[in-house]
This record gives sequence, C-alpha cells and structure tokens, in this order.
Amino acid sequence: MLGHSIALYVLLGAGTGLLGALLGLGGGVFLVPILTVGLGLPIRVAIAASLISVIATASASATVNLRRGLVNLRLGLLLEVATSVGGLAGALTSALLTQRQLFLSFAATLGVMSLVMMQRAGRRNVIQDDGADPGRLGGRIREGERDYLYRVKRLPLAMGSSLVAGAISGLLGLGGGIIKVPVLSAFCGIPIKVAAATSTFMIGVTAATSAFINYSRGDLNQQIAAAVCLGALPASLLGARLSQRVEARALKVLMALVLFVVGARMAFEGL
Amino acid sequence: VKGAASGLDRALEALLTLGVLLSGTCLALGLWRDNPALLKWGLLLLMWTPVARVLMVTAALLWERDWAFAAISLWILGVLAGSLHVAGFL
Repeated sequence: MLGHSIALYVLLGAGTGLLGALLGLGGGVFLVPILTVGLGLPIRVAIAASLISVIATASASATVNLRRGLVNLRLGLLLEVATSVGGLAGALTSALLTQRQLFLSFAATLGVMSLVMMQRAGRRNVIQDDGADPGRLGGRIREGERDYLYRVKRLPLAMGSSLVAGAISGLLGLGGGIIKVPVLSAFCGIPIKVAAATSTFMIGVTAATSAFINYSRGDLNQQIAAAVCLGALPASLLGARLSQRVEARALKVLMALVLFVVGARMAFEGL
Repeated sequence: VKGAASGLDRALEALLTLGVLLSGTCLALGLWRDNPALLKWGLLLLMWTPVARVLMVTAALLWERDWAFAAISLWILGVLAGSLHVAGFL
C-alpha cells in the first residue's frame, strides 16, 4: 500500500480523528500534510483519503453530540449555505491567487485567530438561564446542575467566516472547521463545545460534496482510505466523549495552539 | 455539558449510528480479507451517510412546516445533488 503498512494508516486516522472530534475540526488540516509531506503520497490521493476520514469523524462524533443535544441544527444549516457558496467562490477565484499568496494570507488569518483565542480563553459565552428567550438560533445547555443559555451574536460575521471556510475548503482541501469554530466561539457568542459539535456535524456534508467528485475521478485509494477511516471511527467517538469532560478554557487554549502550529506550517510553505 | 436532545436529534443519531456501523464493518472485513468489493461498499456507505442525514433533516423540517429552514435544507440538498450529478451518481 504505497510502501506503508495498514497499521500506520489506522494509527494516523485515529490521531487525527481524536483531535478533530475534540476541537470540531474534520482533521483534514492535520491529515493532508502528514500524508503528503510525511509519507510522500500524491496530493490528490491524500485529499481524497482525508475527505473520507472527515466524513467518518463527522458522522461518528455527531452520534455522541446529538445524544447530548449539543448540535445546533438550525445554525448549522444556515452556516452550511454560506459554506457551499464559499466553496463555489473558492473554486472560481482560485486562479486569481498564487499558491504563495494563498498560503501566506491563510497563515496570517490563523495567526491572528490564535492570538484572539488565547486572549479570550477565559471568557464565558453563556449566561445563567433565567427563562429568557435565547432567540431562534440560540439555545440552552446544562453544565453540572446549572442551566445556561446562549444567544447568537454577529450573525453576518458567522456567515462571512463560513463563506471563507467554504472557499478555503475548496482551495486547500480542508474541512473549514479551523476557521468556523474559533470565529463562532470568540466573536459570535456560541459556547466552544456547541460550536465544535455544530461544526463537526456540518463538515461531514461539506466533505461529502467533494468526496463524490474525487471518488468518480479515481483519486481514492480504497485501502488507504479504509485504513484511515477504521482508525478515525472509534477515535472520533472517544474524542467527542472526551470533549464533554474537558473544560472549555482548556479546549480554547488547545485550539489556539493548533491554530498557531498550522498557521506556522502554512507560512513556512508560503515563504 | 449537555443540551436537550430533540426527537429529530435522536432519529439522526440512530441513522448515523447505522451508517457508521455498517460502513465500519464492511471496511474492517474488506481490509482483513483483502476484498476490494467490500472496501468499495464500505466507502460508498460512508459517503452516502451525510446525504441520508440531510434528507432526514429536510423531511423533518417540511413536516414541522418550518418553511424557512426547510428551504435552506433543500438548498444544501441541491448542492449535494449537483455534486452527485457531476460525479455521475445521479
């Protein structure tokens, strides 16, 4: 299998699936560079395998998040519209930017987001539930014995970031969660665990849109994709469960670190 | 941390669990027995799972007469259908 054992791909899928489910990212942002730079796979094979793994992570972790009522379905649907338009815009405008400009602008965005996440790590997005109306897109969550509610703020910004996430998804073969989750959590009043659960839920649909086309083009190496998925499926279940036990502040700090590392890698590739 | 899971949440959870279990089983058996047909079915089942999920959400929103969000869900279904058409599945 292109020189590497099945076990290696299963382990890779498990690692990226765990982190992906924990933070609401599909995991493609880690998997694609490891498969290409680390293992020397052609970029098309890596993207096709990554998209399938993102679907596995999204579907498996959603089973846990849905049971806990953490997926904000209506918000997810609304953002998915912007993501799908962004995907189209990304495909149409890809010729306008050089690869270098693309990597550098993406790296700068992630760098700024990393700083914002660190700065706002201690900030709470929820208020005590006093029976007030959370609005059509807001919701309620229970933490320990206390009920809280959250309201969605700055919806145009949430839609804009989903549009950019869609464009990035189309251009770089990523799920887009790495943009959506930090913006929703830092600026739009959504608790990071709800943002992560909602993002993962919708990323499966975004990835499926591209996965069918990759499949029909013959980019998919069945054995590699199957091995990565077999690792990602159980690890995502574990990641989604773990995410409920970890404190929101710790998740935000972990997200800031991931943004910084991925941003640095993008800058390195762009320079 | 948890919220209140709705009836639709439960139905979606059941659908996704079914999709994940069936595809996972096909993929594991396919790798173990080196069977390309099983691998293909496992991957296709996994890829169709989000499509089935969007279909279920759309049907539920239409049933609830939530026209605005049903229209949004239909848009997403349309994008997926476009992708399936380009890929030659529709």
